[in-house]
Amino acid sequence: MPFACIFVPDFSVEALLRAEPELRSQSLAVLEGKAPLQKVFAVNENARRVGVSPGMSKVQIEACAEVALRPRSLPQEAAAHAALLDCAQSFSPRVEDADCDTIVLDLGGLQPLFGPLPKIAQALSRRASDLGLETSVAVADNPDTAVLAARGFSGVTVIAEGKEAEQLGSLPVEVLFGNAAAESTQLLEVFSRWGIRKLRELASLPDVALSQRLGQAGIHFQKLARGAISRTLVPFETPSVFQEVIELEYPLVLLEPLAFLLGRLLERLCARLQAHALATQELRLDLELQNGWQTEDLSTNNNGETGVPARPAQKQSRFQRTLRLPVPLLDSRIFLELLQLDLKAHPPGAPIIKIHLAAEPARPRTAQSGLFLPPMPEPEKLELTLARIAGIVGEDKVGSLELLDTHRPEGFRMQHFAPEPFSPQRHRDAEQTTTKKSKDCSVPEPAPSAAEGCLCGDDLVTALRIFRPSVNVAVTMQDGQPLHITCPRNKEMQGAILWTAGPWRSSGDWWEHEGWARDEWDIAVQGENGIALYRLVRDRLNGKWILEGTYD
Amino acid sequence: MYIELHCRSAFSFLEGASLPENLVATCANLNMPAMALLDRDGVYGSPRFHMAAKKARIKAHIGAEVTCESFPSQGHRVTETTNQKLKTSSVSLRLGGEFRIPLLVSSRIGYQNLCRLITKMKLRSAKSEGAVREEELREHSAGLICLTGSDDGPLALALAHGGQEAARNCIQRLISIFGHENVYVELQRHFHREQEDRNRAFIEIARSLQLPLLATNGVCYATPQEREVCDVFTAIRHHRTLATGGRLLARNSERHLKSPQEMQALFADLPEAIANTVELSSRLAFTFKDLGYEFPKYPVPEGETMMSFMRERTREGFQERYGRSSSELQNRARDQIERELQLIEKLDLAGYFLIVWDLVRYCRKENILVQGRGSAANSAVCYSLGITAVDPVRMELLFERFLSDERGEWPDIDLDLPSGDQRERVIQYLYKRYGEHGAAMTANVITYRSRMASREMGRALGFDPETLDKVSAAVSTWEYRDDNDTFDHRLRDAGLDLNHPRLRKYFELCVAVQDLPRHLGQHSGGMVICQGQLDSIVPLEPASMPGRVVVQWDKEDCADLGIIKVDLLGLGMMAVLEDSLKLIQDHHQEEVDLAHLPPDDPTVYSTLQKADTIGMFQIESRAQMACLPRLQPKCFYDIVVQVAIIRPGPIVGQMVNPYLQRRMGREPVNHLHPSLEPVLKRTLGVPLFQEQLLRIAMVAANFTGGEAEELRRAMGFKRSQARMRDIEAKLRSGMERNGIAREAQEQIILSITSFALYGFPESHAASFALIAYASAYLKCHYLAAFTAAMLNNQPMGFYRPATLVKDAQRHGLKVLPIDVTKSEWQCTLEHSAISTQHSASSNTGTISLRLGLRYARGLREEAAQSLVRQRKLAPFISIRDLIHRVPALRKDELNTLAEIGALNEIGCRDAAGYLSTKLHRRDALWQVERAVRHSGPLLDELPEPDANSPLRPMNQEERLVADFRGTGMTVGPHPMAYHRTRMEAMGIHKASELEHIPDGQYLRIGGCVICRQRPGTAKGFVFLSIEDETGVANAIVTPDLFQKNRLLLSSAQFLMVEGILQNQDNVISLKAERVLPLSITRAETSSHDFY
Repeated sequence: MPFACIFVPDFSVEALLRAEPELRSQSLAVLEGKAPLQKVFAVNENARRVGVSPGMSKVQIEACAEVALRPRSLPQEAAAHAALLDCAQSFSPRVEDADCDTIVLDLGGLQPLFGPLPKIAQALSRRASDLGLETSVAVADNPDTAVLAARGFSGVTVIAEGKEAEQLGSLPVEVLFGNAAAESTQLLEVFSRWGIRKLRELASLPDVALSQRLGQAGIHFQKLARGAISRTLVPFETPSVFQEVIELEYPLVLLEPLAFLLGRLLERLCARLQAHALATQELRLDLELQNGWQTEDLSTNNNGETGVPARPAQKQSRFQRTLRLPVPLLDSRIFLELLQLDLKAHPPGAPIIKIHLAAEPARPRTAQSGLFLPPMPEPEKLELTLARIAGIVGEDKVGSLELLDTHRPEGFRMQHFAPEPFSPQRHRDAEQTTTKKSKDCSVPEPAPSAAEGCLCGDDLVTALRIFRPSVNVAVTMQDGQPLHITCPRNKEMQGAILWTAGPWRSSGDWWEHEGWARDEWDIAVQGENGIALYRLVRDRLNGKWILEGTYD
Repeated sequence: MYIELHCRSAFSFLEGASLPENLVATCANLNMPAMALLDRDGVYGSPRFHMAAKKARIKAHIGAEVTCESFPSQGHRVTETTNQKLKTSSVSLRLGGEFRIPLLVSSRIGYQNLCRLITKMKLRSAKSEGAVREEELREHSAGLICLTGSDDGPLALALAHGGQEAARNCIQRLISIFGHENVYVELQRHFHREQEDRNRAFIEIARSLQLPLLATNGVCYATPQEREVCDVFTAIRHHRTLATGGRLLARNSERHLKSPQEMQALFADLPEAIANTVELSSRLAFTFKDLGYEFPKYPVPEGETMMSFMRERTREGFQERYGRSSSELQNRARDQIERELQLIEKLDLAGYFLIVWDLVRYCRKENILVQGRGSAANSAVCYSLGITAVDPVRMELLFERFLSDERGEWPDIDLDLPSGDQRERVIQYLYKRYGEHGAAMTANVITYRSRMASREMGRALGFDPETLDKVSAAVSTWEYRDDNDTFDHRLRDAGLDLNHPRLRKYFELCVAVQDLPRHLGQHSGGMVICQGQLDSIVPLEPASMPGRVVVQWDKEDCADLGIIKVDLLGLGMMAVLEDSLKLIQDHHQEEVDLAHLPPDDPTVYSTLQKADTIGMFQIESRAQMACLPRLQPKCFYDIVVQVAIIRPGPIVGQMVNPYLQRRMGREPVNHLHPSLEPVLKRTLGVPLFQEQLLRIAMVAANFTGGEAEELRRAMGFKRSQARMRDIEAKLRSGMERNGIAREAQEQIILSITSFALYGFPESHAASFALIAYASAYLKCHYLAAFTAAMLNNQPMGFYRPATLVKDAQRHGLKVLPIDVTKSEWQCTLEHSAISTQHSASSNTGTISLRLGLRYARGLREEAAQSLVRQRKLAPFISIRDLIHRVPALRKDELNTLAEIGALNEIGCRDAAGYLSTKLHRRDALWQVERAVRHSGPLLDELPEPDANSPLRPMNQEERLVADFRGTGMTVGPHPMAYHRTRMEAMGIHKASELEHIPDGQYLRIGGCVICRQRPGTAKGFVFLSIEDETGVANAIVTPDLFQKNRLLLSSAQFLMVEGILQNQDNVISLKAERVLPLSITRAETSSHDFY
């Protein structure tokens, strides 16, 4: 049964050239890594000729004016890969996704449809070229021979049945390893020591002797080199897409009728998912807007991060929202409520003419809580509640705090609130600790800090209420200490300073762009309503004064 | 007034960011009259602190922050009263883990106690670890004043872990150890809330116990800007990056030296805390002037004094050294010796000389080659005692260079010993003789240099390993730096963009940490000895080498504090000479006595004149080779000149050419002034040696010997402009008095100032010349033994082993490859029946050199020794047999041996053990792969059907690649030899042809680059040594050409160079005008590059 392999040499480069075909005649280097430490990841033949090679740094090749530099684009690579799959699938239903740059397809039964094998191979190459990818295509009687030939020979190659060993013989042994060169270093070293450079040389080694030396791996590679290996193709399964669309006869301008339509779409989607025993963890809403309206492209996720707005220069008539859930769910009512809340916070801003709704399938949750454990909130309800709160206070203001190891004031970040899943072992450990503590109550806990150590016995806790946003003030100084504060916005917060403690000085992150340095004072101010205690802060980098909070 | 009494320097190793000198300078700027240095667990920086403070007229208080183990909860040795108090307390003392006590030294006893305390702690624990115990503190508390420290001090920790009660108990414990009057409650104010809270508790405790408060700033750096370096050090210390350092990093930049006014303002509410700093400073009477060091006394027989004993030994030596000399020389020597003995007696140095004499005697007894060098070679007493080998009287060397009444510093005797085990034996002898605490090695403070700085700063900033490698490779610079060779250019070359703020910061940090101490190493040979306990003079630490102890100071510090040291220097060439003698004895059955070599061997001098000196001591470098044909050495003194002339001093002072021109009679000899003729006569009026400059000062400007030596020191590394001006004025006035013309004065001053720093002492050059002559003699007459010894003592010298082997082969030595059936670990000599064609000497005719297993890369010595042992029991009959009998051999080692052909001779043997067929390298590789792999019981027993493999033998190129990869060299033809026809077609000349081509011709040379040099004195010129199968050719590359072809010239293995041939006085070189890569082989040859 014949197989074909489509291989894209310098895949990262080709992926970029699809978008910018005019670069094909130039030297191109693809960069990877973050600035300023970018390095060359891949190059095209022209660049290779002028001496650019992977691993060089950006600055090293910047001197060569003729080399075009582009950052590596994973989305474009994914698109190129998808295009490659499309190309293969347009010929054969049985396609193997062998690697990002390698696709194998079963050509069995295709000859009556597309003609003889060389013609199919040519057609594959042309089709790939039409998709913007320069490829090598090889046809052979087994998938692996086709892969080796595609990697080793450029253009279109057809390996005749029974001639595999002969035709592959001239290829270097490196083609056996493809992108997995790192794991194959040891074997390549052995081959190099033995003087085995071509597949022909590997193929001619005695089997038993080779097996005694390199084991089954050696035999496997030798069979590959002889083109005498057969295996079953591992067909690529197209992931099911659960998507529903409604085209509207007249534009929608209100959220209520939209919610009605969304509800219907969601019900359909959930029914389809249920039929496959699946749930979803990601819902993508894509609204087509009436022409001429400005658009927005935002997504929310469980980290409370907001997506990047679309470039304003490009006018699109689409509005997209993505809802990511902490656990896979399948409840159309909950989904609807979540979408409603999200749309309330982020209205489309233009009349809607078409609604696409897609659900990313996921396996449903299988966790079961302990019998005697206090019930955790239902994830669906919890998510809904969190979404409601986020709708009121803003997405970046809901979640659980994670303290950062820094001297920087307010050194924390928000994490999406998600209760930890139940673990019986952890539960037992927690129980044991509690029991031990209750039994060993005679041992006092060590004081956590020096400050508390000094204050032991004193139960007074002074709380600081932070002003959000902080209050800008003007301060009069005397002998390095604040004497008087003025707050034009809030008369209650101004007056003579009766007492100060400080400055408490801190600074840090000096190696970053966003270094900081500040002085803090704890002050007592004689205001109109009596004496109040505040925390007064001066930013030592820009000289600004703020009242950061008040002490209870 | 305020005095800073708690300050760490960079000698707290990653806990402080300023050098002691910078701290002192800042302190002086702030008008502080005194300051205390308290480094962590040591007094590492104290000598430099003391010296800097002395200059700045600041009182230097000594102390240390000592790490202590947590006090046990009930100290059973606590005094009765304190015990009572502790018993009444219901809360037990809880201090958490280790803490640091700042201790200040108030008297010499206190200093001795501090040193002993630290020594005890250090010697029982691993490097950078250890803590003193409470009982040790009690034992050594006298003369020490205890502060309560900052965050990591005992009081803060007690307060944190046990509250007020524990803190009070802790301080009572400290009182019981140090006494009530010797404990100060330390307060620091760095604008932290928690710290201020703690201070309140401290004040309360201090008041209740009537203890004095003491304000300090817990200084870690001189200026606030250095906080950045301190943060980086913190990150390095905790193996973090700055980004992950979090709260381990400092909260702010307040731990810098603050002015008395600032401190007074900070402690305005507690004026007594400021006043107490002055009061405490007045109590700290100890300084390093009061160190109490004494050199050990040499035990002499009853009725003798050290001096009388020494006189007798010198007299005996005199008879031996000068017994057969002319009466004139004898008289001069006798007078000189008497003068020296009088001075030695006056300075009470007899013990020192006797100890060195004893050491030399021990070496002679143990057959260890030893030779004194350096300024000691100026002394006739040293010569008579057998310490040195150069006759200073005959050579008219200047004794004052070694010892003078005025200088007030100890003499310096350096002993050259064979590097390796022999030297270690001498060191152990010293330890044994003077006790564990009586002798120690001097330290070598490892400081941040470009490479280490770039690596560690990059790591702290979170660079990935690949970038770090790139950066550190980029900063290894040539010795010469042009305008394009700045640090930022090098980073740019490495592919880093300095416009990026983080890289800019990286660059700043790299510059800021330059020269800051990183950790303590051990000096290669300096030893200090003390009468009595050395651990009361300086704390001792264990060295990383077992059985060695190292002091906390480096040799300059020891010298500054007047501690005598003996330098036991391992010299590779001494080991080569020693090994050569053994090989000559074994294989030539000849006894060669280095002390009695024929003095004017014609072969040696003709070889030197041809600059055929690869491998010879001190005269083998490219620059030396370029000088030899012009200098044409004809006698021993010429070698002395040759050793001294190619040095930065004569080169910078432009003395080389005038000397050579005068020598060749092309320039008249001029002595600057008639009075200087006796001084400069021997060097044709050109000053070449340090001694000559000192003599010039003495003759021309009436300097005394001591003043002249002072002049040399003034020109030293730490040149002070003011001191230079003083000396120059003194020189001028002296010369004026002697009627020396103004023009001559200028010339004299110029030569002195440009020369004194880098010039070579004549005595030193003479000692080296002796070794150079010996090495030349052995190479000329016993090439096989000398080459084997050279190869066995690598790394050393100017050339890679590959070059040494090729040179020896060109001189007719047959070099045999590594062979497991014959090779030992070391290179050995074998008698072969075939004599070589080009034998330079009859002695090498039948002797070949067999490369040792040490040259098989990656082969461990223990595995190789095990192989040799097994071979001696019975020869290996197959590779399988070898692997079976030497299980220590790893697969990679076997592969290397197979790849380099070392297993070829095992082959297949018949029943009688005779070699029937010979394997090729790939057969061996094939068999190794089979033999090391257990393929299961079924296949394991399957006999190998054929010894031969299905693999094709290596071709010439593959063998070359394998040889260079596996041994770094080839014993076969030079890679260039395989391509000679092609090279000829390309018009490339052989190295050996160049001497026959007239000067000025434009031609091409090509070959393997064996050496690249860009000397600091050559204004950016690069010198390449290019080797082919016929010899070595030299090419000179201009700075412009270098800039254009930087990458090629720095990294290409084979080069073709086009340019104009220069043949001046038989010194041949090519002035490069074009360089091109040459594709010869994939073999990885290597060059010796001097950065």
